[in-house]
Amino acid sequence: MAHLRETSDKALKLLRTLPRVQIGNLRPNPNSKQNDKRGRAQHGGDKHGAGNKGSGQRQNFMRLGYETGNQPFYLRFPYEPYYKGHHMKRQYPPISLLQLQVLIDTNRIDISHPIDISTLCNSGLLKLKPAEMEYGFQLTDDGLDNFQAKINIEVQHASEAVIAAIEKNGGVIRTAYYDPRSLHMLANPKKWFQKGVPIPSRMLPPQDAVDYYTNPKNRGYLANPEEISQDRLVLAQKYGYQLPKIEDDSAYDMLTTAKDPRQVFYGLEPGWLINIVDKTIIKRKQ
Amino acid sequence: MNLGKLNAVSRLPALRLSQQYSSAAKAELPASLVDEEEPAYPQAVDRSGLQPQHKNVLFNNLPYQEAHSWIHLTEKYQRQAFGRYGAKSNVNPKICFDSRGEKDNRQVMQLETLLKMLKKNRAQKAEELEKINAREEDIAKKLEKLKQWKADLHAKVAKREADAAAAIARKERLVEEVRRHFGFKVDTRDERFKEMLEQKEKEDKKKQKEAKRKAKEEKMMAKLVEKTSA
Repeated sequence: MAHLRETSDKALKLLRTLPRVQIGNLRPNPNSKQNDKRGRAQHGGDKHGAGNKGSGQRQNFMRLGYETGNQPFYLRFPYEPYYKGHHMKRQYPPISLLQLQVLIDTNRIDISHPIDISTLCNSGLLKLKPAEMEYGFQLTDDGLDNFQAKINIEVQHASEAVIAAIEKNGGVIRTAYYDPRSLHMLANPKKWFQKGVPIPSRMLPPQDAVDYYTNPKNRGYLANPEEISQDRLVLAQKYGYQLPKIEDDSAYDMLTTAKDPRQVFYGLEPGWLINIVDKTIIKRKQ
Repeated sequence: MNLGKLNAVSRLPALRLSQQYSSAAKAELPASLVDEEEPAYPQAVDRSGLQPQHKNVLFNNLPYQEAHSWIHLTEKYQRQAFGRYGAKSNVNPKICFDSRGEKDNRQVMQLETLLKMLKKNRAQKAEELEKINAREEDIAKKLEKLKQWKADLHAKVAKREADAAAAIARKERLVEEVRRHFGFKVDTRDERFKEMLEQKEKEDKKKQKEAKRKAKEEKMMAKLVEKTSA
């Protein structure tokens, strides 16, 4: 401690006599300045930093990356499957709640009827490309705080917060799976009906999607309705809103309209032949 | 070009002229300006250059009333014709439906029923959980042993050190004894010293052996006493 006091006293005494601290008086940070002097003459020359004899002076270095015999890092991995199978993964193009609200407010979507892929595609502002592995729409949470519409909507994916936002406004949300053929039908129904083929039935989801669509938390269309209603209550408690009573609502019938798991269009059953020119439905005789 | 319209346009200036003249004086108009009976033009000539099938399509009619190609006779084409033109297509809608037999052949089979898929999922989840649990149990078991292993290791190290220390101590003791025996400072490496050291070591060894033997005997005696007393 005495030693420290002495040195600090010395330093202070020195400071009084030294000139003011200026840029020109300061020493640069260690290792910040590189000596650009080439290897010539007395101090840069002679061995040019290569030492004496040995492989060092003879410039016989190991190749870059060599790890003295073991498998070097840059050779340990023959390939990295960053995008393996990415082209076969299901994609769900997003629709934000803000977008949805704007569509509703500008009367592009009629909320007096249930909303599904065909409603959204028929608005003309949203397009689904099933051929590019797009399996439907997902509802994102952008604009969640300002969402104010009572709707019956069916999408292919929605997060918990989005589900809460829609149910808070007295609406109903459901997630459903459509196989690629059904998606083509929904994305452009007019084109499909011009083929003159009866409506086929919808296929069940594949193995890795069954989990999602049977889960009541995701409002899956294959989940138990009782568990769904239970989860509605739980979600209301979690997000802190009063769960509106749909039974007392005037639009109860519309809000509780749901498609059968094998149904593609609202109100139309598989096996029916629809003609949009004559506006007829032709059914097979039993 | 609709010639009828052209006529109307060219007719207007003539009308205006005739009106002007009629207000001034009831002069007779020249023959060319009098509205005669509409000239008998032939039926509107279709100068579009369109082929009949394309014109039909424009007017939303069936393009070909009669089959012009083998394509028009295919099932697919006729179904499409029905889809696009409805009853106008003169197609019997029954061809749009698959006959029962065909449907069975062509229908895409669902790989697995929903129940089977759910079962598989449950089994998979259970398996994963089991794996995790098994590994955790294994690690827990090893952790229990860890305490024991640590104690063993410490004991081993201590013993080794103790033995080394004992050996050194013993050596020192013997050297001291020999020195005392000689009485004066003798170099350890001296021959006499060495001889004495050897002797001392032997004696020491004997003593230790005796001590060990005695200790063993005492132990045996203790055991026997216990047995007889019990």
